[in-house]
Amino acid sequence: MSDRLKSGALRASSILLLLLLWWAGAQLTGDPDILPGPLAIGRTIWADLSTNGPQGESAFFDIGITLARIFIAFIASMLLGTAIGLAMGLNRVFERSLLAVIPWMLTMPTILMVFLAVMWFGYSEAGGLIAVMAVVTPYVAVNIFEGAKAMDKSLVEMAVTFRARRPLLIRKVFLPQLMPYLFSAFRYAFGMTWKIVALAETFGLKYGIGYMFFFWFGQFNMDQVLAWIVMFVVLMLILEHGVFARLEHRAFIWRASIAK
Amino acid sequence: MAHVMLRQAAGPGERSSTAVIVDKLTKKFSVPGGESQFTVLDSMSLSVDEGKFVSIVGPSGCGKSTLLNVVAGIETYDGGLVTLAQKTAAPPRIGYVFQSPRLLNWLTVEDNIHFVLEAQNVPRERWRGLVAKHLDMVGLAGQEKNYPLNLSGGMQQRVAIARALAIEPDILLMDEPFSHLDAITARKLRFDIADILARAKPTILFVTHDLAEAVFLSDRIYMMTTKPARIFKQVPVDMPRPRKPEDSAIFDLEKTLVREFFSVVEAKA
Repeated sequence: MSDRLKSGALRASSILLLLLLWWAGAQLTGDPDILPGPLAIGRTIWADLSTNGPQGESAFFDIGITLARIFIAFIASMLLGTAIGLAMGLNRVFERSLLAVIPWMLTMPTILMVFLAVMWFGYSEAGGLIAVMAVVTPYVAVNIFEGAKAMDKSLVEMAVTFRARRPLLIRKVFLPQLMPYLFSAFRYAFGMTWKIVALAETFGLKYGIGYMFFFWFGQFNMDQVLAWIVMFVVLMLILEHGVFARLEHRAFIWRASIAK
Repeated sequence: MAHVMLRQAAGPGERSSTAVIVDKLTKKFSVPGGESQFTVLDSMSLSVDEGKFVSIVGPSGCGKSTLLNVVAGIETYDGGLVTLAQKTAAPPRIGYVFQSPRLLNWLTVEDNIHFVLEAQNVPRERWRGLVAKHLDMVGLAGQEKNYPLNLSGGMQQRVAIARALAIEPDILLMDEPFSHLDAITARKLRFDIADILARAKPTILFVTHDLAEAVFLSDRIYMMTTKPARIFKQVPVDMPRPRKPEDSAIFDLEKTLVREFFSVVEAKA
């Protein structure tokens, strides 16, 4: 069996085991109001996706809203964080002043940030966006800053000796060295973003997965609460492994090709 | 603060011209955190005739690399004048081989060479031919698509040499290019480089602390001492090529130079 097949089989069987445990737990409690089984949840998800819910839209609408919020907040904080990180790497005044502030921002509990944003900006899209950016941007900036500091100066010197101009230098010398830091920032930023967006949707925003979750929580509908949780987790797993892992693999293809 | 200058080269009628002239070069570094400066290079003079192989031998820390960087135009200097001969409308091309290969590990061997070809504005249609020719020259034909980290240290340094030669440099600067390699690999590469350079024929300024290497490869040797760095002797090496390192004439010259070198350097220490 190939390694790929083996790890695929292993992954499938552990998911199967989890479903089995869930099913056994549901059987043991015997009360669908406390722990509905996986089959019941599957049926609920199907119904949510194929018919219009209490807001007059199917689940796809809320999923779309949540995805849009995640991507806008994610891209905004990545861009700003990268810009700040590079500025810190290139300029000592930036470095000193921001390194004094960033630990404060990183220590701030996420949930308090969400509350603060809601209090300042109300139940608006801006509130959610600001909450995400306040939490994620400092982390991205620190990561990119580390990458800029770790840049191999001897390679930059080589490039300058051979008269490489700035665009070529950035493309072939700077960016590839920054890549591992960018990706690690990427992963963390994405993970934080969807958690905060879900939180903001739960507490304040209209529509979205978190909003629906809270709606059904209010009705004390365990079936629906679990169905929305499962939808959310599956969606994020698909994005994480289907999209980011693939991008990362492509960016580091040169590493994979090196003989062990 | 002066920069390396260009000067019109001798006309085609003349038999030889001087590719590099370093005239009373002085370079100072300021001590970090202090007002004081220390002199790295003190009124240093040397010249390299076109197509010749000139070595500078000196103890480590004597400012040899600084001299190469001044000639390469990536460092300024404080006194004297450094000029390079300009033969065409374009400034002379400078190739550089460093102590370590300094390859871009995320690029294939051929893309590493493409990098400098792009930097030097070599037309794209010439790339393929230049890569093939110079990889072949250093004995790495067929490694175009391989990645540097798959190659041994000696092979990586060969790629670095191919990279420097691929831009068809007028002047090739080499900074102890064999010092990071094991003795056997270095010996093999030294042999090959003599042969490669006999074909490519750039002007070479070569820095080393290894007198045997210098005698084997050079047309002329400048011997340097440190604190402050200055040249205390220049020696022409008029032996026919190809040379053999075991040749008694080479061996004798090396012995004489080693004796002289250490009598000067150790007297300072």
